[in-house]
Amino acid sequence: MDKEEVAALIEDELPDVTATVTTPRDPDDDKHYAVRVVSPAFEGKTLVDQHQLVHDALGEHLTREIHAIELRTLTPDEAE
Amino acid sequence: MAFEPEEVSPEEVTDHVDSAIEDNEVVLFMKGDELMPQCGYSRKALGLLTQYREDVETVNVLRATDAYREALERHSGRETIPQTFVDGEFIGGSDILEQLDERGDLEAKVSG
Repeated sequence: MDKEEVAALIEDELPDVTATVTTPRDPDDDKHYAVRVVSPAFEGKTLVDQHQLVHDALGEHLTREIHAIELRTLTPDEAE
Repeated sequence: MAFEPEEVSPEEVTDHVDSAIEDNEVVLFMKGDELMPQCGYSRKALGLLTQYREDVETVNVLRATDAYREALERHSGRETIPQTFVDGEFIGGSDILEQLDERGDLEAKVSG
């Protein structure tokens, strides 16, 4: 699973989302991703619920094809 | 003598997860133990928590990782390791702990 596929999974599931996926360890590492997600869907939600939305979007891929994501969730206001 | 991993049944794992969450104010399910974390995310979560609490109970999931993932999923809705619970409530994996700490909210969160 490459960076573009990870971003596409998230962007397909969440409204008005911007997902930026990078590989913090090594450019060719396809197991560990850092994901920055900005969406108005996060407004008024706890961090746990915000992260859950992204985890749900990734579904079975997380823990199987992806070892881990370093996830940062932000509302559009927080991202400015 | 070869090291044989102990056999643990899924039922034992479920009971262990339930009681660890119920009996401890702060419990961290992690890969490895506090002396030798086996994953950078588990190490980071442990470091963040032990800044504020000395009595962090740790549970090493590696003796039956898949069974622990399933049992934890029933509590938190997620299968990823590490997972932290405070007073029975799921508060996050390593990245949520980090984000809480940056906001200055982690100490209050783990103080129960």
